[in-house]
Amino acid sequence: MNKPLEVFLGILTAVGGFVEIGELTFSLDAGVDFGYRLLWVSLFGTIGIIVYGEMAGRVAAVRGQPVFGVIRERVGFGAGLATLLAANLINLLTCAAEIGGVAIVWQLLAGWPYRALVAFAFVFIVLTVWLLPFEWIERVFGLGGLMMLVFLVVALREGPDWGTLAAGLVPGWPNDATGSRLVLYAFYGVALLSSVMLPYETYFYAAGAIEDGWTPKDITLNRVVVIVGFLLGSLLSVALIAIGAQFFEPRGAKPALPGLAALPAAREFGHAGLLLALGGMFFAFAGAAIETGLSGAYNLAHFFGWPWGKSRPPRNAARFCASWIAIFALAALVVGSGIDPVDVVEWSIVLAVVVLPLSYFPLLVVAADRRIMGEHANGGLANALGVFYLVVVTLAALCAIPLFALTRGGRG
Amino acid sequence: MTTVTLDLVRDVLDHVVVDRDGVPCGMVDDIALDRDARDRLVPAALLIGPGAWTRRLPRWLGPLARRAFGARVARIDWSEVARVGERIELRSTARDLSLDAAERRWSRWIGRIPGSGA
Repeated sequence: MNKPLEVFLGILTAVGGFVEIGELTFSLDAGVDFGYRLLWVSLFGTIGIIVYGEMAGRVAAVRGQPVFGVIRERVGFGAGLATLLAANLINLLTCAAEIGGVAIVWQLLAGWPYRALVAFAFVFIVLTVWLLPFEWIERVFGLGGLMMLVFLVVALREGPDWGTLAAGLVPGWPNDATGSRLVLYAFYGVALLSSVMLPYETYFYAAGAIEDGWTPKDITLNRVVVIVGFLLGSLLSVALIAIGAQFFEPRGAKPALPGLAALPAAREFGHAGLLLALGGMFFAFAGAAIETGLSGAYNLAHFFGWPWGKSRPPRNAARFCASWIAIFALAALVVGSGIDPVDVVEWSIVLAVVVLPLSYFPLLVVAADRRIMGEHANGGLANALGVFYLVVVTLAALCAIPLFALTRGGRG
Repeated sequence: MTTVTLDLVRDVLDHVVVDRDGVPCGMVDDIALDRDARDRLVPAALLIGPGAWTRRLPRWLGPLARRAFGARVARIDWSEVARVGERIELRSTARDLSLDAAERRWSRWIGRIPGSGA
């Protein structure tokens, strides 16, 4: 494929795949409770995922090494194994939440019973991954997720208060900050940061770069796709916060079910708006379910040195293949067991931030090492930002669980 | 003979092992050392498999893990190593070295599903 087209498709795929169910839920809720005040966290997290996504892609392109290869090599077997178990627990929970999201979207469209739709979503996802080549999976769900751009149009048509919106891009505390509200604000801040920087994104991105056969020549492609794609993608997250502030807050409503997010699009554009919003959510959630499930299998294969990859026939990557089937099955069982999918979303987001420092630290050490990366090692900017964000996610990881307990998962 | 200095812990331990065809066949879970004629420590073999990595777990966890994953260890003679890079490349195939036993076991199941060879 020619380069400009590849860059263009890469960017679109990154945009369409940027938002998943956790980000949708927490962005809307943050908008309802704090207006535009938390917008800065969304942007701040986006820069963080750009820094580490770029590093993961670069290490994969230069050394052909995926994230869990790096982790095991740098922190050793024991600590690496602990990271693997934690990361895959989060992958499983996130995957479960996304499968629940797919079932909710289908329920809104078809009205069938939720559990049947969870089973149906499981079959759909397994067949998709079994039948489609890697590149197609990336493209179909990434491009389908672009339907969510309807949220951006809705947010703009509702007429944002640009002054307040701009003020929300500056880090700070809310004006009415007192005791419990301050704690709730901090909780949303950590959750939003976590949802933007979910750990599976770097695992999947690096594994995907190797599946696509990247070489050091692709470093520029990597940089452009990550920076432009993720920045544009973060506009969607910003739009969702704005919709929370502009549409749901004045109506005194909090969209408890992710499906309700489609309402503002329906009000603005009627039937077409509703279908676009639900369609976009379906592709985004299903895409994220596939990415988290595959990430789990990638991580296992990279940690234990199994043959892996969608490009190998399943029988030549049997343990890898059995792993993703098992993860999708477990995820469907979790969300089909009667646990509220919104609870699963909250748990996955809160626990995810705890894994971030464990995944980022080895990545930073390797990406900065001239002996390993040669001329492609981190420059001053990547190192400075890398260390800064490592400190930030470590602090967020320490606060996440106490904040979750104090706010009872954002319910105040 | 030329002497090459290798930082075994940094450059070999916990790196992926690939066979002659580039197929991953495990990680360097441990390294067996030997003494050469001048009494220097030299690598003798790569140890691959649960029997090797379960020994690196905390004392309370090792026996449990051995019960769950078995104590299989493949001992790959150092002379079998063709190149030490990001990946440790071997001179033979995984099959020749019997490093593909676990993969083959799973392959019997996955191979029954239509489309698994595509």
